[in-house]
Amino acid sequence: MTQPILELRSISKFFPGIKALDQVSFDVFSGEVHMLLGENGAGKSTLMKVLCGAYQADAGEIYYQGQPVKITNPSDARALGIAVIFQEFSLVPYLNIAQNIFLGREYSGKIPGTIDHARMHAEARHWLDVLSLNIDTHTLVHTLGVAQQQMVEIAKALSQNAKILVMDEPTAALSDRETSLLFEMIRKLQSEGVAIVYISHRMAEVFSMGDRITVLRDGKQVGSADPKTTTPDELVQMMVGRRVDMAYARKFTSKPGQVALKITNLCSDNGITDISIEVREGEIVGLAGLVGAGRTEVARAVFGVDKVTSGTVEIFGKNRTGEPFNSVKMGLALIPESRKIEGLALIRSVEENIILSGLSKIFPSTWIQVKKAQQISQDLISRLRIATPSGKRAAMLLSGGNQQKIVIGKWLTTDSKIYIFDEPTRGIDIGAKAEIFALIYKLVEEGAAVLMISSELSEIVNVCDKAYVMREGRISGILEKSELTEENVLTLGMTNA
Amino acid sequence: MRDLTLPQNSTVANLMQRIPGVAIMLIICILGFALLSPDFLSMRNIANVGVQSAILLMISLPMTLVIMTEGIDMSIGAVLTFCGVVAAYVLGQTHNLPIAIVIAVGVGLVIGLMNGAIIVYANMPPFVVTLGTLGICQSLALILTDGQSLTDVGDSIGLAYNGHLLGIPLPIYFALISYLVSYVLLYHTRFGTYVCAIGGNRDALKLAGVRVNLHHVAVYAFSGVMAGVASILLTARMSAGHPTAAIGMEFDAIAAVIVGGTSFEKGNGWLFGTFLGVLTVGVLRNGLNLVGVQSSVQVASIGLLVLVALLLDSLKSKA
Repeated sequence: MTQPILELRSISKFFPGIKALDQVSFDVFSGEVHMLLGENGAGKSTLMKVLCGAYQADAGEIYYQGQPVKITNPSDARALGIAVIFQEFSLVPYLNIAQNIFLGREYSGKIPGTIDHARMHAEARHWLDVLSLNIDTHTLVHTLGVAQQQMVEIAKALSQNAKILVMDEPTAALSDRETSLLFEMIRKLQSEGVAIVYISHRMAEVFSMGDRITVLRDGKQVGSADPKTTTPDELVQMMVGRRVDMAYARKFTSKPGQVALKITNLCSDNGITDISIEVREGEIVGLAGLVGAGRTEVARAVFGVDKVTSGTVEIFGKNRTGEPFNSVKMGLALIPESRKIEGLALIRSVEENIILSGLSKIFPSTWIQVKKAQQISQDLISRLRIATPSGKRAAMLLSGGNQQKIVIGKWLTTDSKIYIFDEPTRGIDIGAKAEIFALIYKLVEEGAAVLMISSELSEIVNVCDKAYVMREGRISGILEKSELTEENVLTLGMTNA
Repeated sequence: MRDLTLPQNSTVANLMQRIPGVAIMLIICILGFALLSPDFLSMRNIANVGVQSAILLMISLPMTLVIMTEGIDMSIGAVLTFCGVVAAYVLGQTHNLPIAIVIAVGVGLVIGLMNGAIIVYANMPPFVVTLGTLGICQSLALILTDGQSLTDVGDSIGLAYNGHLLGIPLPIYFALISYLVSYVLLYHTRFGTYVCAIGGNRDALKLAGVRVNLHHVAVYAFSGVMAGVASILLTARMSAGHPTAAIGMEFDAIAAVIVGGTSFEKGNGWLFGTFLGVLTVGVLRNGLNLVGVQSSVQVASIGLLVLVALLLDSLKSKA
């Protein structure tokens, strides 16, 4: 244990406009479980992708047993004995379990060029048995449940006999029983000298499994800790830190009016349970939680995209039922998270996009008066200060911040009264962020009710009148303005059990 | 959380889910035509269906693989036509069948490689790229023949279509060998596994350290080669190179693949389904001919077949 099996020195990785990793150094020893902790977007997954060869670092060195190495593609990582259990499944849906476990490493059969299926199934069986997974290895992966898929993913990594095993939230989809099985495996691998990098959001795991903890924040390494001497509160403090980007902070002048949106005991077929939320006019309510906690699913159920299985959504006291079309008619607007996929017709012009949602309101008689449409579009473009050389420019040529403004602008034409923003500032720079928030504040001052989903703690804390925190498909807590701190949000969002 | 101990016999379930759609339609078609026309079930006619379906099968097999990669090859009918014309042209110049075969297949390979390279390396939509190739190949076929049929092809090539072995027409052998080759390729080689993975989860394949692009191009190259091989049968059938011989045949091929249960998403393909799909299209065309339905109406019947097949499958997946 004198020299780490793998060491990253001063790794940096840039994406347009974002420093995803900034001089991060990280090492792991054989037989050690090294916990990697951080908020959403802190750089954990980027670091992992650098490790496995999916991304290449823009600066910094990697050392393997003291020797400098280059990991330029996934094959390099594999050759070094690095195996990764991905959070987003790296499984192929219409291949069977054995084919998935041995993807890219198929055994050759007797006839040149063919695959030895029998041997692959035999070995796959062995690894499933190790994980007490009683499923036929011929089963196609798409027929498996999430937990089973996660177990196959784990079997895939184990079967590589890796020296370094990287796990990205491996227990997120697992039940207690499977989790304890996985932990047994980890202990066993550890005793066999495997080095383990373990990314987690669950405090209990961090303390029970970790030998060492590294915390990342905003792409920087903020510190290391020993689980024996540190406390969960200290870790949360490290993850949150102090923020400088308060340019958009809100001056609170809000005078909440009547209840505009009332969600009562809402359940949907997409994994949310017993959600109750109230949003008043002139109020911004935050919906916080970790990625995957079910926040977007709430928005989808409220808007009528996902099927509501029980519970009600009331808009100004009236029940909302049926299709999203009804929601729009009742004054509800949803600004989705993935604006490129759900919110914009990318190859169409700014003008066309911005007027899309309002067409039926502005031109109730089906016929569109091009002149009038253009006038309204131009009006909105200048009102929202969308930076585009002309309204005719294709939406995809604009920056992320300006695209987001178009998506918001779309709804301004519909006279909506209630806005649900899903991650309104994802992937846009700080200047555009301030402008987006200025827009949201203006809506609120004019009496709109806003429900804002955000993964950025500082946004929730500095923008919202109050916040609901979600965890695993349920509301885990409500924070009034006085209690609204980053620490509280984070604590409610993480699994402590 | 789902119970992990529950055994799931999904391969059987999967088969049950898929067989009916195409198989039911095949059986209905066979029964229907058997009732309508006494000649339909004669040995001669059954052999006829096989012979007529051979070329379609030979291009539907690679089409299955292409569609499994979430792609499509609109050019395959035009490539088939062009290769057939090339074979006839070379025969007219040299009267040497092996050389004609090699050159026709070679031309198919080159076109397939070009399709694949543009799609994969220039990251262009398969539909658009192969549509472009379709136009080019159609035009090349017309230029090479000056719009006429090339009839100076000698007698040897005709054997490929009209010959028999053990009383069974040669095209049926070609078709079955093509099926076997495709089957082994798809289910017993790395290439086949990767075809499924390219459509199913391309990133996963990349992360597994596989040279994804090469395999992706190879899928289109396979398509070109199979069109080249099938073109020999096509030219043999007419004892001529005709510049519009198989124009539009991609429609039948895509129909057969879809009817056979291969999906345009996630690498969900089924080679035997394509086999059944080709038979269904073959039976439909043959039967309608026997019953005396005009060929203009036949195209509509195949369109209808596709719609019914998709409808059946979507009903099943909801059930």
